[in-house]
Amino acid sequence: MTVLLWILAVLALPLVIAAIWFTGVFVKELFSPSPPAPDATALAAERLGLLPAERQDTEHAAPPPAAWSAALAAARDGDWEPAAELLRANGRDWERRSSIAAELGTLAAEEDGWLLAWESARPGDPDAAVVRAQGTVYLAWELRGAKQAQYTSREQFEGFHRMLTAAREEIARAAELNPEDPTPYIVEIWVGLGLGYPGAEMDKLWAEITSRAPYHFGAHYAALQYWCAKWRGSKQQAFAFAERAAGRAPLGSLLTALPLIAHFEHDETTDVAADSTPEMLALVDAGLADAAACAASDPDRPGLAQLRHLLAYYLHLQDRHEAALEQFRLVDGHVDALPWSYRGDGAASYYCRVRNETVGAVQAAADAA
Amino acid sequence: MGATLRALRALVLLLGFYLLSLVLLAALVGVDIAAFRWGHGPAVAKLGFVTVLLAIPVVRGMFMLRTPKGEAGPGIDVTEADEPRLWALVREVAAAAGTRAPDRIRLTGEVNAAVSEDPRLLGLLPGPRRLYLGVPLLTGLTQAQLRAVLAHEYGHFTGGDTRLSALVVRGRVQLGRVIEQFHERADGKVAAERAKQERASAKRVAKGRKAKKVDTSGSGVSYRMMAAIYGQYAKLYLRASLSTARGQEFAADQVAARIAGRDAMAATLREIPVLSASHDFYLDSYATLGLGARMLPPRGEFFGGFGKLLAARAQELEDLRGQLPQEPASPYDSHPPIAERVRRIEALPADGRADEATGPALAVLTDPARTLAALEDAVLTDEVLGYGRAAGWPELLDASMASGLSSAQTPLHRALAARTGQPATLAALLEVVDAGGLWQLAEQLPLSAEAKAARGRVFREFARPVLHRSLRTMVLAEFSARSLLTWDFSWSGPAAVRLPGEAPATGADGRNPEEVLEAALDAALADHPDTAALRALLPPAPQPA
Repeated sequence: MTVLLWILAVLALPLVIAAIWFTGVFVKELFSPSPPAPDATALAAERLGLLPAERQDTEHAAPPPAAWSAALAAARDGDWEPAAELLRANGRDWERRSSIAAELGTLAAEEDGWLLAWESARPGDPDAAVVRAQGTVYLAWELRGAKQAQYTSREQFEGFHRMLTAAREEIARAAELNPEDPTPYIVEIWVGLGLGYPGAEMDKLWAEITSRAPYHFGAHYAALQYWCAKWRGSKQQAFAFAERAAGRAPLGSLLTALPLIAHFEHDETTDVAADSTPEMLALVDAGLADAAACAASDPDRPGLAQLRHLLAYYLHLQDRHEAALEQFRLVDGHVDALPWSYRGDGAASYYCRVRNETVGAVQAAADAA
Repeated sequence: MGATLRALRALVLLLGFYLLSLVLLAALVGVDIAAFRWGHGPAVAKLGFVTVLLAIPVVRGMFMLRTPKGEAGPGIDVTEADEPRLWALVREVAAAAGTRAPDRIRLTGEVNAAVSEDPRLLGLLPGPRRLYLGVPLLTGLTQAQLRAVLAHEYGHFTGGDTRLSALVVRGRVQLGRVIEQFHERADGKVAAERAKQERASAKRVAKGRKAKKVDTSGSGVSYRMMAAIYGQYAKLYLRASLSTARGQEFAADQVAARIAGRDAMAATLREIPVLSASHDFYLDSYATLGLGARMLPPRGEFFGGFGKLLAARAQELEDLRGQLPQEPASPYDSHPPIAERVRRIEALPADGRADEATGPALAVLTDPARTLAALEDAVLTDEVLGYGRAAGWPELLDASMASGLSSAQTPLHRALAARTGQPATLAALLEVVDAGGLWQLAEQLPLSAEAKAARGRVFREFARPVLHRSLRTMVLAEFSARSLLTWDFSWSGPAAVRLPGEAPATGADGRNPEEVLEAALDAALADHPDTAALRALLPPAPQPA
């Protein structure tokens, strides 16, 4: 009897499967994505003088000083002298030195003919050496790409490790040529991230940096990445590092951004409850005070725009839309900063979406009043 | 359930397979009729075409009603007069298992042992029995382990299950094949398969197999749907038959453990997957090494070298024995996972027979060397047997490497030939590099998507390893053409190249040719290439007389 039932079931099976399949094809054909509705908040943002996504600069977090842009443009055309002059004149302002080296290093990772000319014209120039080291590390990260390990090919990893290994020598040379400069050691953090330095070696590197520049924003940013769970640390280590750094730093040093970044990097929730706790409100308030102090003393300081981007984001999530809009207006036009930059090509549109929602919420509140 | 009832159920299930196929064919015909009546234009023709494509595997599956036969491959039949000790062993184990000894023994070139019986009248009457015994298996097993293998095979006969389960096996093999056919087509594997076969064809002839003909029609979803229909039936079928089949395997294992000893049986189960993998590796990397150069190893060594490989890699094999496959080889395989079989054998109480018959199984043959040589004649194709014989393994390696290098076609060869329109030579390449054309040439290499999307230094760093490998091959080919290269043969590791000027074995006196070569290659492939160092390494080209 059971045998007969089996055979009946077998006869029914093809029919059922065919029916399901045809239904699936039908449904797939029927549906096509509906075009997005025109957005009122985008128009409102435009009326406030805020820029649409296609006009946002996705290479910088804030407008670079004119002298930097000029030096970069000249280097791009093969003239290295303005770049050399820029670094020489900057002297011992380590925050800015790291930022300039990062800009020039990015260019050197694309093409380095100008840098080779600089190196052969002035052998032993510590400024050229630091740009060389930074350029090789950026080249390594370009080879790797920004995807997670499982989506990164063996070829990419091999190029990444080859370049990082090559960079270690260049870093050592740059450090030797300018012993006071923390920049080579900061560059090395990104090598340690990629090659997986053990924690003890990272601690040694960190001591080299803090003895030269105790509150360097870029150094803290890089070290926090190292201690994040997705790289070589854990959620606990990242939070401990961020809180210690923020607690010790004087007002205006911008390191109040670190606990916000640590929270952002390890936030796996999809609602906003975790972003509006009393602790988070306090962290954002501390960030606002820090940013205000920095703006009063040194409004162009590297890192200020990054802090403001984070503040705008969390103020928005905390429904403090007025304050969020104030931060958005201060940074609008340049969006290469957390939390947007992790969206890759979608960074500008993500930024604009959150900003426009803020604008809409502010308007709704004004209309209600 | 009794044996007869089991056979009956198998018969009904097998008929169900035919019924399913007929229903599917009827459905396809129905679709065609409907289309011709109500449809019009090219769509009807297309639909008709698709239904015919789908019908092909169904019809094929219906006519494939034969259990795979003769897959033990070619070999040498040995009589009792040829191999008295082997026959005695075979008879003794058969008697211990309580079953009839085989009527024929055939020695084959595979890592496999099988006893087949061609039953008559749908398995109701016994037929002649054959034992297929792979010589590589004899090479790798001890005599006790050989007894275990034989005892396991006989164990299948003691319950009469081979005759009665023939139908079950038949149905299972058939369903598996039809499903595989549909999946192969659906995955568009055909083109890849063909390319793979072409590459492997040289080795295939050596193993005495005929190259399979591959059907290249195929298109996705509908095939997958058909495979799913058969897959559902197969699940039903497997549920009905598999537990019995696996139970039979476990029972045969118990028989083998009783006859050959618990430890010998457990060791055999661990050994066979290792031998099987090692033999594949041996065939690919050693035995067929010289086929590209139309060379064979010395007579008797085509199968004889396997023993040397096993001896040289004893430590490596020991590690492999620890890692047992946890999954069955395929969902339609009647054998339970090896790990489970080993676990059940090792759970038996110790019988104190661990040290029995530890001599190599190959020694039961009267004259192993003669058998190994005769096996080559039986297994290799006539074409391959016509190839030259190397004087020894190192000579075979040298000849095959020289031949491989002289005919090597690296990506760089192809890019260069496309650019210059001439056959690619190292001299032509160095000229292009000196003229500043290296990085333009690199753009014509087959590169990954990431590399193609890259610009500037990132592109060059992606291309450099590809260039490096190709250029190195070209330079080695140049050395080889001037007879400046030798190779170190090893049973335990990959062949190592010995560059000109490198002292044999230890070469650390003064400058190391390997480092010099690498530095010269790096300089020739730098952002601003310099070929001077590489040119200095190359001997002056022979002047035409």
